[in-house]
Amino acid sequence: MDLGSLLTSTLTDTLEVSLPLFRVELALSATIVLVLLCRMLPVLRWLDSALVALGGVAFALWYAWSDLRGLPGSPWPAVVAATHPASQELFGGLLIFDSLTAYIRFLLAGFLVLYILFTKISGIPDREDGADFYTLVLGSSLGMCLMASANHLLMIFMAVEMASVPSYALAGMLKGRKASSEAALKYAVYGAGAAGVMLYGISLLAGVLGTCHLPSMAAELGRIVGDGADSFYVADSAGPIMVLTLGGLMMAVGLAFKLSAVPFHFWCPDVFEGAAAEVGAFLSVASKAAAVALAVRVAFGLGWLGDAADASAAGLADVRHFLVYLIGLMAAVTCTLGNLGAYGQTNMKRLLAYSTIAHAGYLLLGVAAAVAMLGVDPEGCRKAVTALAFYLGTYLFMNLGAFAIVAVLRNRLRSEEIAAYAGLVRSNPGMVVAAGAVLVSLVGLPPLAGFVSKFLIFSSLVEAITKGIERPLMLVLLVIGGLNTVISLFYYLRVLKVMTFDPPPEDRVAAPAPVWLPGALVTAVVVPVVLLGIFWSGLYAYAQLAGTFAS
Amino acid sequence: MNIVVASAVPLLGLITEPVSVAHYLVVGAILFVSGVVCMAMKRNALGVLMGIELVLNGANVNFVAFASPYLQGEGSRSLGLDGQVIALFVILLAAAEAAVALAITLNFYNNHATVDVDRADDLKG
Amino acid sequence: MSALPMIAGALIAAPLPVAAINWHSLFFLLFASVSCGFAVAVVAADNVVRMAFYLVLSLGATAGLFFLAGAEFLGAMQLMIYVGGTLVLLVFGVMLTAQAPLVAIKGSGRDRVLAGIVGVALLALLLQAAFSVKPWRAPAAGVVAEPAATPIGMSLVGVRVDEPAVGAPAANKRPGYMLPFEIVSIHLLVVLVGAAYLARAKRRKVPRAIEVAASVEPPASVAEHASIGRERHRSGSVLAGGRP
Repeated sequence: MDLGSLLTSTLTDTLEVSLPLFRVELALSATIVLVLLCRMLPVLRWLDSALVALGGVAFALWYAWSDLRGLPGSPWPAVVAATHPASQELFGGLLIFDSLTAYIRFLLAGFLVLYILFTKISGIPDREDGADFYTLVLGSSLGMCLMASANHLLMIFMAVEMASVPSYALAGMLKGRKASSEAALKYAVYGAGAAGVMLYGISLLAGVLGTCHLPSMAAELGRIVGDGADSFYVADSAGPIMVLTLGGLMMAVGLAFKLSAVPFHFWCPDVFEGAAAEVGAFLSVASKAAAVALAVRVAFGLGWLGDAADASAAGLADVRHFLVYLIGLMAAVTCTLGNLGAYGQTNMKRLLAYSTIAHAGYLLLGVAAAVAMLGVDPEGCRKAVTALAFYLGTYLFMNLGAFAIVAVLRNRLRSEEIAAYAGLVRSNPGMVVAAGAVLVSLVGLPPLAGFVSKFLIFSSLVEAITKGIERPLMLVLLVIGGLNTVISLFYYLRVLKVMTFDPPPEDRVAAPAPVWLPGALVTAVVVPVVLLGIFWSGLYAYAQLAGTFAS
Repeated sequence: MNIVVASAVPLLGLITEPVSVAHYLVVGAILFVSGVVCMAMKRNALGVLMGIELVLNGANVNFVAFASPYLQGEGSRSLGLDGQVIALFVILLAAAEAAVALAITLNFYNNHATVDVDRADDLKG
Repeated sequence: MSALPMIAGALIAAPLPVAAINWHSLFFLLFASVSCGFAVAVVAADNVVRMAFYLVLSLGATAGLFFLAGAEFLGAMQLMIYVGGTLVLLVFGVMLTAQAPLVAIKGSGRDRVLAGIVGVALLALLLQAAFSVKPWRAPAAGVVAEPAATPIGMSLVGVRVDEPAVGAPAANKRPGYMLPFEIVSIHLLVVLVGAAYLARAKRRKVPRAIEVAASVEPPASVAEHASIGRERHRSGSVLAGGRP
């Protein structure tokens, strides 16, 4: 093949196949450049960075929405005929576009729109810092979009780095404060360490399997772990399997860090407490959604090869068995320690950090159920992924709402301690009602959104149990998940008790701050938490669409 | 004579035999472990950053070894160009990470007047 | 101890061992021992300036290992970006923060022992991994490595001109690397903006934290009030203007 035809085929693939499905990332990249240009050029300096960022993100949201609608089986087939393939490798196999990619991108873009409005209202990046702040946020989100669609080891590592490194700088946003710089330092050091360990694991996996392309890796993995006879390491697969296990565990370290799963969660409370509440919201929602998507990508990518029943199928069943136990164990420990750690916290951001850890555990329960049913029971697996997607959708509103309330109250009370919220119901009943809705939803009580999502996760565990798939583990996970819900009840409700029953402190700063704009913000984020608990079928339809990639 | 010397000093085999991928992996492992220990033990934040560089470099040595056509022996497999390209991008990403980590360290130094990571203990509970 | 002169004598006396030397392996040994030796020295040193120097030597020798493995472009990049760029950055950091009492911060003995034990255990595990795959132990067949600079450059514009790798799985895809090459430029831009933001001085209304930290720990809320108060004042006034 001569160079000319190589170039032509590359161009065709890039321009006609890959780039049209890559518009969300392109919009984010263009927004980054625009935000910086507007700050650099004196002519455009009057433009507020937040507005520029908001405009760009709105484009990204529109593209993400049309990508989602263009998928086959979209809940809106009457409006648009399916224009996109159900699954398409982009850029020669580096990325993959499917329903999970489209759904996570849509969530991220939607989150960004709300988030920029939130930061604009709460005022943490002031105008001077706005360009830097939004550049970092958009750059990190770009990495998260890539995390959701990575299909190659290089892209996995690069996406994790792209999502993490800007967020280290975000954690140090309040650069004059000791706590903030300490949070940034801890986050950067632990994060870089986890990424390094992950990279070493990736190198071992790639070295044994001889490829970096996830589906090819899965095929090879299945052959080696299976009877090993027709694999590359003909009769001598014990050594390679040991190296693969080691490499897989090291890679899991990096993913667990991004998910803030125990035992790699210790950074989370410190970073959330030290960084601004706005940054906490970003890390807790966007970063978590992308990390869950990447965990699903890697677990599904390495554990399943479509319906093709060849020599590797039996080996992959063993791989999945290993993954289910690894993820399930991590989920159980993460839930429990996250919820126990939340007791006795006096700082609201720290409490929310432990709550984030616990919710990462619930999400991992869903991942475990999905991986358990993968390839065995396609219908159940689809339902489990649907539950995860739905959970992420509601979690966006719950946690954004929680952090928005913390930020608004900080601006009013000048404190983020739970004790400072005492007796708030007398001066600010609306905020207490909103906080009540968010916290009760985080517990998972009906009739709020958190209940529906938790119910879906637990019911996919039940489905695995009734079908006898990994029954003992799933049973244990279900019991632990249920117990944790009860444990979590008390510390969330304690905050509400302080807000309503405790007498307000004598020295409370009278805050004549205007309330309608922050109030509108909190309402806009909290109302979906209530509505999604009752009218959940709309979001569920899209979550189901996200689940179709697993079939 | 050759055999006598080789048996007297087992390490002499290292310079008479051709190297293999495993030789490189040993170097990678030593660099990686040095980096991990450095990160765990150093109290100077800059020392921790140096540990990170060592860790990434250890992984890079592995990638180069797996990618190298020269080191491949009987019945081994190679990552080919992919391994080298990954190592190249890792160098770039490490540079970016070092820039941010250093800025964060200097910021920490400005606020705390020290780079001792054990003094980063305000946040706990 | 008497073994050393004996071996040296044997090497000089007998022409056969010299001829039997595999020069590639000898240079590998040289670079590998410099690389590993100074990596361990980085761990062992207390003085941060020395650590930086040892790190330069260790990473420089690693570039030599890359050349020996036939990755000449990568070796050059290692020297230029890592040794020439990243490490100089770290040395700047050392210079900016190197006050006499801070140059050598000694860890406690207990930490050292613990880190040593963990390190040795981890090393044992990784070494076992390195030797447990049989094809990795196979001595190099001595293929002459092709220059890699052109294929790397072409792959970065999205075209693969290299030969398929030996022993790759049948389904393996060989993507061009144009996407990461382009996207990493956005990443570098973002990261530099972040680093510049953190390094830039912001107008301060609170006493410089250094001076405060040197005297007394301020009430935790002082700095926070100052910064948040300013924000509130600003947004508050905007809002007040919008309200009758």
